[in-house]
Amino acid sequence: MDLATLRDVTFTYAYAEMPALEGVTLQLQRGQLYGVVGINGSGKSTLCSLLRGLIPHFHQGTLEGTVEILGKDLGEWDAAELSRTIGCVFDNPFTQISGIKDTVFEEIAFGLENLGVSRSDMLDRVTSVSEQMGITALLRKNPNELSGGQRQKVAFASIIAMDSEVLVIDEPTSQLDPQSSHAVFEIIADLKARGKSIVLVEHKIDLMAQFADRLVVMRSGEVVAEGPTAQVLASPAMDAADVPRPEVTDLAFALEAVGKGLGCVPVTRREAEAAIATRMRGTQIHADRVA
Amino acid sequence: MSTQSLISRYGRLTIFMIPIGIAINFVGGQLALLLKLPVYLDSIGTILVGALCGGIPGALVGLVSNGINSITSPPTLAFGILNVMFGLLAGWLGRRGVFTVLWKTLASAVPFALIGGFLGALITLWVFGGLAVGGGALVVGALMAAGLDVTTANFVAQVPMDFLDKVPTVLAVYVVLRGIPRRIFAKLPLGEVYLRAKGVTPAPVPTASQPTPGGLR
Amino acid sequence: MSALSPEAASAPSGGTFDGVVSHGNWIRDMHPLNVAVVLASISLLALATPRPVGLVSGCVAFLGIAVAAGVGGSFARLYAKLVVGVGLVLFVLRAAFVHGNHVLFELGPLAPTWEGVREGTTFALVVMALCGALTLYFVLVPMKTFMLALELKGMPPQATYILLASFQAITDLGRSARTVMDAQKSRGIETEGNLWVRARAFVPILAPVFITALNQTEERAIALDARAFNSGIPHTHVLQLRPAPAWERAATALTAAACLATIGAGLLWT
Ligand SMILES: Nc1ncnc2c1ncn2[C@@H]1O[C@H](COP(=O)(O)OP(=O)(O)OP(=O)(O)O)[C@@H](O)[C@H]1O
Ligand SMILES: [Mg+2]
Repeated sequence: MDLATLRDVTFTYAYAEMPALEGVTLQLQRGQLYGVVGINGSGKSTLCSLLRGLIPHFHQGTLEGTVEILGKDLGEWDAAELSRTIGCVFDNPFTQISGIKDTVFEEIAFGLENLGVSRSDMLDRVTSVSEQMGITALLRKNPNELSGGQRQKVAFASIIAMDSEVLVIDEPTSQLDPQSSHAVFEIIADLKARGKSIVLVEHKIDLMAQFADRLVVMRSGEVVAEGPTAQVLASPAMDAADVPRPEVTDLAFALEAVGKGLGCVPVTRREAEAAIATRMRGTQIHADRVA
Repeated sequence: MSTQSLISRYGRLTIFMIPIGIAINFVGGQLALLLKLPVYLDSIGTILVGALCGGIPGALVGLVSNGINSITSPPTLAFGILNVMFGLLAGWLGRRGVFTVLWKTLASAVPFALIGGFLGALITLWVFGGLAVGGGALVVGALMAAGLDVTTANFVAQVPMDFLDKVPTVLAVYVVLRGIPRRIFAKLPLGEVYLRAKGVTPAPVPTASQPTPGGLR
Repeated sequence: MSALSPEAASAPSGGTFDGVVSHGNWIRDMHPLNVAVVLASISLLALATPRPVGLVSGCVAFLGIAVAAGVGGSFARLYAKLVVGVGLVLFVLRAAFVHGNHVLFELGPLAPTWEGVREGTTFALVVMALCGALTLYFVLVPMKTFMLALELKGMPPQATYILLASFQAITDLGRSARTVMDAQKSRGIETEGNLWVRARAFVPILAPVFITALNQTEERAIALDARAFNSGIPHTHVLQLRPAPAWERAATALTAAACLATIGAGLLWT
């Protein structure tokens, strides 16, 4: 059974002139980390809302085509069950905090309370998640007094504490510095390693290149490419969608353009280093021979 | 369609609007004090939520606002009924599209002020024997010192004072309502009234299934 | 502050949130609903006993309880504010305007009477006896513990949400309003000067703040749903109320009984 199957899906928000999703056909497998990229307003968050069932359960509008989530038609899902099965965090950390808890500890426990988790389990899970996120120092602070970045971590911790099978994550690092962003991506990778299916929207393309298994590229409501990360990053779809490539990929293309291609298209720093090292070694041998 | 799905379809944001309405009442009142305005301006949230979500949510905003206020100023509790009435009236007027037109909105200050002034005076008379606390009490005191009897003094002081309060209140409500985007209106019980006034036809019913109980409300 | 106040944080549980909410004071650790019963009983008792002795004793009792609970200072400050802002005003107005035969002195159009002073004293004391209970309650019991107690008695979590979220929204909106006000000031919008100038500043300061808050309701709804708030499963609670010990239940019952007996006796008497 797949995570999601979308066939020719078009969605127009009520009172909107243009569809936010148009003719989207996608097949998402389970146990994978999907990265979704696209410029502002290209429909990434709308796709998240759809996968999370907020469309059509919460957002009004016209939905055409068929959507299956975990083998069941989206319309047949019970909204409450969907909220338990698919965890989601949206990007604005100022609205992702409940606003009714006055310690981070209780904030993270809130979702567990609502799931009826026993108190001792709750304490364990809050402790382990906050250690994982590196926010144990915040546990006694008031979540409503935290900075945007800290709130973002708390909101993310609150959702992963709930341990749902699927995670839909919309720009989890928008307020974070590079180091924290990297840490969040490692946690996401770890969740995937533990069998979760993840859909992740993110603008930081270098991190996407390093961590995502597959990429979905969006442009004005359409999915212009879907496939293995390296392959998609190298494809012209990225230019078509106006999404920047990782620096190293651009570098490789630039070298290729002047006839000095690396023989491969690296998407991560490590791949690039390997390719360049090989080249350098080659050059070295060549130079030795000349000498 | 069952009541439940009606609630989920139309009232989904109501429980999130109520706390905001309560906060608006407070912050409005505090700013009026800060700017040293001679009016309370502490029922904007009640009328706003009434106008957007209907009389009952509006009344709830009024009730809870006065309840919270009474923690630090207990006599406020006695006047809770006023704020409840404002909410109910705002719901009734909102349903009739009063707040979509500027002059109608301004005219609505009259019934609000009549409720606030008359009922306020009656409560002051019944509960406090005509001599309560607050800025109004000083005016009442002054009028009585000038020779009016307690009942007359209360009505003479409170009805115009309330009118002075409700004109800027409904004006603020109108301005805020104009700034709310369609997507929010679409999720509010009386949102359709405002969308129709903007010349948009109400949204078609979602093509997929009915929202289920237990889902987002 | 919260129930998990600094004292609770240094509790023997050693940095975890294990164990019950405790303030380390036997009054403050009472069950919120028992506190409510006791304070309401004292208030009613004060009203039902001969005046003004009963009323004064009631007010003194509140002060005594506050001191025993270790919140004497903060309660006294709040109560003093009420005495001046509410009690005194109610008293002065009555003293000045209630008609009677025993005029104390004349001051322009005012002629305070002995009857007015008496009525003013009683009325002010009645109001203070009622206010005292309410004020003391919320000094003793944090809102979230009170809400938890009600929720455990079957109040729906949505009601808790509305109340607790209101308090947070008041803080948040107040903060944004201040920010916008400072910004407007620096852009040259006047917030001082004559009445008209000040009145005109009102809407431009508040409208953007209110509209932003209303816009965020959509995302808040989604966030709360993401936390399975509407899961349909009975909620559990990370905070625990201390189970009321026998003495606490006995004391509560006794106070309530004394109150009922006094009121009952008063009714039979007349
Ligand atoms: N709740 C909503 N109601 C109505 N229209 C919406 C709603 N959410 C998004 N839209 C519109 O749908 C289109 C796609 O927006 P969406 O938020 O999905 O883009 P995005 O790719 O997530 O952009 P960003 O990178 O800025 O987050 C936009 O035109 C937007 O205005
Ligand atoms: Mg987005």
